[in-house]
Amino acid sequence: CLGYDGVINRGAVIDERKAAQVKIGLPAPQVLALLGTPSTTSTIGGDAWYYFSQRIERELAFLPPEVADQHILAVYFDKSKKVQRIADYGLKDGKVIDFISRTTPTAGAEFNFVRNMLAKLTSF
Amino acid sequence: CALLAAAPARADILDSITSGFGLFSGEKYKTEILPDIPAEDIYNQGLARMDAHDYENAAKKFGELEKQYPFSQWARKGLLMQTFAQYQKPAYDDAVASAQRYIGLYPTSPDTPYMYYLAGMSYYNQVPAVMQDQESAEKALAIFTQLVEKFPKSEYVTDVKYKIQVARDQLAAKDMTVGRFYLTRKNYAAAINRFHDVLAKYQTTRHAEEALYRLTEAYFAMGVVNEAQTAAAILGHNFPDSSWYKDAHALLATGGVAPEEHQGSWLSKIGKTLGAS
Amino acid sequence: QDIVVVGNARGDSDVIRSYFSGTSPEEIEKGLEALRNSGRFANVSASREKGRVVIHVSETNLINRVVFEGNSKVKTDTLTSEVRTRAHGSFNQTVVQQDIARLLEIYKRSGRAAAKITYRTVQLPNGRIDVVFTVEEGDKTGVKEIKFVGNTVFSTGRLVDLMETTEMNFLSFIKTSDVYDPDRIASDLELVRRFYLKNGYADFHVVSSDAVFDPGQGGYVITVVVEEGPQYRVSNVDIESHLPDIDPASLQPYLRLSAGDVYNGDAVEKTVESLTREIAKKGYAFSQARPRGERNPAAQTVAIRFVVDEGPRVYIERINIRGNTRTRDYVIRREFEIGEGDAYNRVLIDRAERRLNGLGFFKKVRVTNEPGSAADRVVVNVDVEDQATGNFGVSGGYSTTEGFIGEVSVSESNFLGRGQATRLSVQAGQRARGVSFSFTEPYFLDQRFSAGFDLFAKKSDAYNYSYYSTTSIGGTLRFGVPITEEISFSPRYSIYNTTISIPNDSNRPYNDCQTPLPGYTPGFGYIFAPTPADLNILYNCQSNGEASLAIKESQGSRLTSLIGYTLSYNSLDNFRNPKNGIHSQLSQDIAGLGGNSRYVRTTGDLRYFHEIPYVDDVVGIARVQGGNMFALGDYQFRVMDNFNLGPTLVRGFAPGGLGPRDISNWTSSRGNSLGGTNYIGGSLEVQFPIWGLPKDIGLRGALFADAGTLWGYKGATNFSSKLYGVTLPCVYPYSAPTYGQGTCIVVSGDAAQIRSSVGASALWQSPLGPIRFDYAVVLSKAYGDITQRFRFSGGTNF
Repeated sequence: CLGYDGVINRGAVIDERKAAQVKIGLPAPQVLALLGTPSTTSTIGGDAWYYFSQRIERELAFLPPEVADQHILAVYFDKSKKVQRIADYGLKDGKVIDFISRTTPTAGAEFNFVRNMLAKLTSF
Repeated sequence: CALLAAAPARADILDSITSGFGLFSGEKYKTEILPDIPAEDIYNQGLARMDAHDYENAAKKFGELEKQYPFSQWARKGLLMQTFAQYQKPAYDDAVASAQRYIGLYPTSPDTPYMYYLAGMSYYNQVPAVMQDQESAEKALAIFTQLVEKFPKSEYVTDVKYKIQVARDQLAAKDMTVGRFYLTRKNYAAAINRFHDVLAKYQTTRHAEEALYRLTEAYFAMGVVNEAQTAAAILGHNFPDSSWYKDAHALLATGGVAPEEHQGSWLSKIGKTLGAS
Repeated sequence: QDIVVVGNARGDSDVIRSYFSGTSPEEIEKGLEALRNSGRFANVSASREKGRVVIHVSETNLINRVVFEGNSKVKTDTLTSEVRTRAHGSFNQTVVQQDIARLLEIYKRSGRAAAKITYRTVQLPNGRIDVVFTVEEGDKTGVKEIKFVGNTVFSTGRLVDLMETTEMNFLSFIKTSDVYDPDRIASDLELVRRFYLKNGYADFHVVSSDAVFDPGQGGYVITVVVEEGPQYRVSNVDIESHLPDIDPASLQPYLRLSAGDVYNGDAVEKTVESLTREIAKKGYAFSQARPRGERNPAAQTVAIRFVVDEGPRVYIERINIRGNTRTRDYVIRREFEIGEGDAYNRVLIDRAERRLNGLGFFKKVRVTNEPGSAADRVVVNVDVEDQATGNFGVSGGYSTTEGFIGEVSVSESNFLGRGQATRLSVQAGQRARGVSFSFTEPYFLDQRFSAGFDLFAKKSDAYNYSYYSTTSIGGTLRFGVPITEEISFSPRYSIYNTTISIPNDSNRPYNDCQTPLPGYTPGFGYIFAPTPADLNILYNCQSNGEASLAIKESQGSRLTSLIGYTLSYNSLDNFRNPKNGIHSQLSQDIAGLGGNSRYVRTTGDLRYFHEIPYVDDVVGIARVQGGNMFALGDYQFRVMDNFNLGPTLVRGFAPGGLGPRDISNWTSSRGNSLGGTNYIGGSLEVQFPIWGLPKDIGLRGALFADAGTLWGYKGATNFSSKLYGVTLPCVYPYSAPTYGQGTCIVVSGDAAQIRSSVGASALWQSPLGPIRFDYAVVLSKAYGDITQRFRFSGGTNF
């Protein structure tokens, strides 16, 4: 509101007219021509294309950005790579979950502050 | 109001004052004949320095060999020992340079695998924590892979195979941190792509489990529930007793669904891909 | 083995053979070439005999030693590493000539183009030879003079001032900016071009720029021929939109220049940036605004049209962060508002690059693109080079208020690569000692607002301008919240304990009326008034300096716990030496969350910088400042709560030299300023370079006029109840027989009179750090104010 550009459009920019042309039975190359490379594909086999777009709003520079709107256009293909099913996931389908903070332990020399300062002093 | 002590004068002030008066304009030339030291003596002097852990001068001594007796067996031995001395110092960048010069000059000598090993280890020992640039992990991985392909029977292969696994694990961990960065910022597509990378390139590392679980989280948060179930199913199939699988199960339960695959019988196919190598 | 090697006394034949990958003529030629380059053999040739290839190598005249003489500017081992003629190698005529050429190039680059290098060989008894390079470095050959031809609008002096390269002058032996360096000259000319564009010369271009080495002057003379072309004014500005639902009118407010203005290159660039950002917000992530100018040379006007059209549909596939050996990945990645999978938008990437540079963690930041795995995918590579952000600072200085002060500080602005800033500093000086520690996390809870805390302990002694010493120990918890690029709001909570004590010893007997000092307090063995009977107006307990009753009343320690905020608006173009822009702050503190003090204090300060037109490099500064404080409930203000100002309000006055003051003790009212609860002040200043002096001395002059006042002492004036427990009529000081301090104080200078002064100052960016001399003549002051015409403050950070 205070002239701070708090709105960011994230992800795929889908042109409504082109999205409407994607029909059942359309071969994959046509979908690629219409919508471009998918944001992501299914984990295995890649026979489901997902076009992911989001609108992030942030009233003031310091407030955490919230997802104002989220839209996923999913295109499922059958074995012969023709459109079998189209699905649309909006913001309401999304589940609000808190991600687990535990992570797999990693190797590598942890950055050592004292060693760094000493290196600087010796090079002083 | 006297000023406080002058700051350390700039180096070139002193320089120009001295050279201005031409006092120290470089030493005059005086003839001095350098004696010819036989190669064995230089080599032994180098070894003596190695035992005294004076690696820097040892490397200089071995370097002398190559200068004084170029195109000789001593030059090769000198270069070999120079690389080892630099590795022990450790002056990793010099060690890698010398090792690669050796590999270039003597590609098929009996010590060449050892040179690959030293070069790889030089990078391997500099691998930083996962938050920093993992370039040295990538380079170590590249050199170790060459070693295993070119000299499958060399005695270093077993140790190198383990180190390859550690380097790949480190690279996988890097992708995981970036994936989690985007996941917590709700950029689900970016996170999913990173976790797919981990599954594609590093499925035999410990991070594959967590990647599958994060995929479940990301798809579930996006609302694409069937993909979440698929990811959880693969996780369960490959790592049935992993703690991540329990978390995935619990997470899906909150949405009233259970992990089960969706696209027919490709589950066995995945088993093959994940279980292999 | 169909290759035979002949003539190699020392070399190992099969190693030489390994240079030849085969026996075909090309392979042989390639091998010979490699052997020649190794610099090991005098000459190398090949011949074919009976189907076998014979390689002839001759190792005559082996080199024993390679020596350099006469070099002092460039060290010997740098020269040795550049030269291909080596000890134990063979002497080769062409190789030595190439070496000499390379050495001359090194000397040219380090500013010694007049150097001469010759070589000679010395025959040694054992058949070997020594190669000796003799160097005559000659004196420094920098840039003697920079000449501009064709510049009518701006003087040559002004254009040269813009450039990094400077002419040689008596300071040459310190600086290196006068060394002739072609790429620096090229980047300088780009600065000149942008300067002309900024001032409306759209047609400006550099016709030619050549550097001629003039042995007579011993340096280069650089002549730059320019064509300025006319100064263009903007005839009209409009926006043409090819995007379906973007109408140009809605973009009108984002134009940074309008019809009638002088054409300004920077403004065009800023407009492009704000237009592109606005369109991106409306969902056209790929669109760009491109400026197109139609010149009308006759009327010297240019019509600018910003064309908004659809850019290529490209998405970011991956952002690779490389080279960060210390800074953590997320510290860099979080500066990018766009992420992987988002539309590629040049403006947001440039802004991220600017932000990364602003962090100060990196020597260099370079963002480059490379094609991704699909046609509409691009990979963004962010190459950074960490720089040492740790700083071990030792600084010293002198100021008339604090005397000699020194500080040792250890600071790290990228703590553990997490982007956090920490600073520990210890100050020690004649009149003040202290230690402080501060920590700041710029991205608190991963949001773009900073949080941090400071801990401090400071003791400042009493001296002739204030008769009490203060010790304060405490801490502050603070947040920094950016509202927009220019506005930021930083709330804070601070709690500190201040202890006021009045020294009462031989050289500072500021409390000896209450507790006499044998031998120093008149009437107690002081030589001029040994016994109480000798007391008189001249010699009494006040005559050796005495703290005011108001100060004595506020002795002891007091806890202050306050919450407050500072709202600041800062649009300076350059923080270190601003030329245009506003720097303003409003801060308010409410003390009373526990602790003894209960008041609300508000202060405001606004500084407006503006470059004076038609005169180059002259900056005008206008400043307005003010403050007010009122007590909460029945809180009784103590002396150190009040505003106690001096030169910071009106230059020419001593510290605490203006405002309400207890003049009851006429011999020492200098140290008894009481301060006030309101102040207001204004100042006008103009800063200018001192003509005739070369720019790199860094001396600038300034003229200023200050005015201001401080009033509203709210403390008590009758302290009899404090001294004797019952309120009595005033006993005024100097009344016989004790001529003591009495029970009341006389407050003067509390009538909000305007104090004013004019003066001049010199600002010197000396190699020892920024130093400022102020000399001010007071025009109007109130009775009792203490003036101090000359003020000096300076210091350096080694």
